[in-house]
Amino acid sequence: MVGEELIAGPVLDAAGMKALSAALAITVTGLASAWAEKEIGTAAIGAMAENEGLFGKGLILTVIPETIVIFGLVVALLINQ
Amino acid sequence: MSSPKEMTRAVIVGHKSILKETIDALHDSNLFHIEDFVEDESGFKIDKPFENAADVSKKLVKIRSISSFLGVDKKEPVIQKSDAVLQDLDSKLDELDRSISAKTAAIAKLETDLKDLESQKKDLLPFMSINLDFDYYRGYKNLKVFAGSIKSNLDESQFSSLTQTYELFYDPQAKTIALFVTNTEADKIYEFLQGLGFRELRVPNRGGVPSELLKVIEEKEIEINGKIESLKAEIDSMNTKYADFILASDEILSIESQKAEMPLRIATSANTFIIDGWAPSESYDSLVNTLNDATGGRAYISKLEIKEEEKEKVPVEYNNSKTVVPMQEIMDLYSRPKYTELDPSAIIFITLPLMYGLILGDMGYALILGSLALLIKKAIKAEAAQRLANILLYCQISTAIFGLIYGEFLGFPLAGFHGEPGLIPGWETRTLFSGLGGEEVTFPIHRSHMIMTMIAATVIVGLFHLALGFILGFININKQHGFKHALLEKGSWLIIEVSAIVAIIGYLIQNSIITNIGLIALVIGVLMLTKGEGIQGPIELPALMGNALSYARIIAVGLSSIYIAGTVNDIAFNMMWEDHSQIGLVAIAAILVFLLGHGLNSLLSIIAPGLHALRLQYVEFFGKFYEGGGKKYNPFGYIRKYTEE
Repeated sequence: MVGEELIAGPVLDAAGMKALSAALAITVTGLASAWAEKEIGTAAIGAMAENEGLFGKGLILTVIPETIVIFGLVVALLINQ
Repeated sequence: MSSPKEMTRAVIVGHKSILKETIDALHDSNLFHIEDFVEDESGFKIDKPFENAADVSKKLVKIRSISSFLGVDKKEPVIQKSDAVLQDLDSKLDELDRSISAKTAAIAKLETDLKDLESQKKDLLPFMSINLDFDYYRGYKNLKVFAGSIKSNLDESQFSSLTQTYELFYDPQAKTIALFVTNTEADKIYEFLQGLGFRELRVPNRGGVPSELLKVIEEKEIEINGKIESLKAEIDSMNTKYADFILASDEILSIESQKAEMPLRIATSANTFIIDGWAPSESYDSLVNTLNDATGGRAYISKLEIKEEEKEKVPVEYNNSKTVVPMQEIMDLYSRPKYTELDPSAIIFITLPLMYGLILGDMGYALILGSLALLIKKAIKAEAAQRLANILLYCQISTAIFGLIYGEFLGFPLAGFHGEPGLIPGWETRTLFSGLGGEEVTFPIHRSHMIMTMIAATVIVGLFHLALGFILGFININKQHGFKHALLEKGSWLIIEVSAIVAIIGYLIQNSIITNIGLIALVIGVLMLTKGEGIQGPIELPALMGNALSYARIIAVGLSSIYIAGTVNDIAFNMMWEDHSQIGLVAIAAILVFLLGHGLNSLLSIIAPGLHALRLQYVEFFGKFYEGGGKKYNPFGYIRKYTEE
């Protein structure tokens, strides 16, 4: 059966699981950050087209979701401890 | 740490006969921020602009359009006397205007001629290889001329079976024909030609052989192009000749226009005027003296008390030492402080480079980017560029210091570690004490080997930063609303933060007394917060943890920079050592990889640590105390660059 050797074999042993989960933690949070920043960034650029003085505020709002991926990274590092 | 400059509200009242003198004096002093008057029920009206306003703005428009046409750049100012410029402004402006319009008209005409020649050339080209004088194509009584292009190949034998009396010129490449036949046979021949896809061409309406005509046209084209070039060169030379005049007169006219339109911004009655506005308190006396000198004491100026509700609209001028001034750009990017709050520029001056250095921390990049900053400072004299270069420089100084602490140079370790030699011979890493998760804290700090410890350390840095924010918030609210509000709204956060830390420490060292003290203080803090900010306060509690953890980005972004640098080094050095036989070529490629890789990473090292360090200020730090939204202090006046009185 396909996959049997994966379960039995060395790919998904404890270390592999850990590495995979760490990768998942980063990937999913990275995607989430990107998605959120995309939405905010688009709106921020729209606002800047109206008023260039909003650059500072737009920048701040755009980078707020960045925290999500930082948390993902911290979790990934904790998993690998 | 400083507050914005203290402002005094002043009102100037006088008779309209001295309005001009008053305005001149105010403009020269460049101190008074005017509150625009909005017409209301009081019966005062805004005045009409001075008589010369229309004339001045007309000239200003003219000079600006000339300036943009000539492409006059701002340059090292040559200072001229404004009287002298003003004296021959009209004549020089006219002269400029006339010669420019003459030249542009001439260029436009030459360009039309050029287009004309181009279309003549196009008509000629099909007849080039036949090369028959155009006069031969017309003026026959008994002959019919077919001149044109055909689609398929012409087979002359097939054609000669149709008629014997003909003269044919045929260019098989361009598929152009000129065919002379008798009128009687014309219809027959035409039919035949139609079968070949014949399309008639217009024969140019002039005599002459095409090749000679073409030569003449091309010569003319060269001549016209030369004329256009020389006219454009003349316009360019006008740029160098008149640039100083244009810049100076633009400045003088701008000043005149500002003054002339000033009456539109103030309250007047039939015979009096009132100018309302703000002046920095330190310069108020000098403003009064200037006014009195200019009007012989006839303008009446008096201070007004600033009411509490007016404090929101006081214009804000920064009050920082020269070193801190570049940081004002960072403040303006967010929002200028309000008159009633602290101006955190001086704190940002420390914390922004600190965070940046903590993130990047590499001697090599500090040297590269530091030199870049110095280069910008030297090359671009514009004030904004100077300030940005200064900020970059401050950040690189801090990066160099942390580069030493981290012992990194372009991703290479400076000190030896685990038997591997470092870049500096004899410098060995020393283990100081054990950190978190079985890691060892060493000097220099090898970040990639003590990630958990660094995460904890950066979060602690964050806690200090946040605490500083709460303290500043306390000071702000204490100044605005009194001690009680400050204690409940900001002091409570500080208590919560400190007590939570105490409780965690107590838990970690398993001392229940310390834990309990921390927990009790925490509860008190939460209660105070609820009293201060209502139910919103406790709801925002988890954000404190989020904010603190957010500082983990310091190590996260730092590591990404190390790994990029390390990867570049690995690739370059593997290439170097891999193939000894062809060392020349591979070595060059390796050096190229090394330079490009670190060039790219240098660029990223401005953007990523810069943005993240900035974000930590804007979001985490400012969120604790800063409101912003102050109005810019914009005094009525002009900073002369190209002229003097």
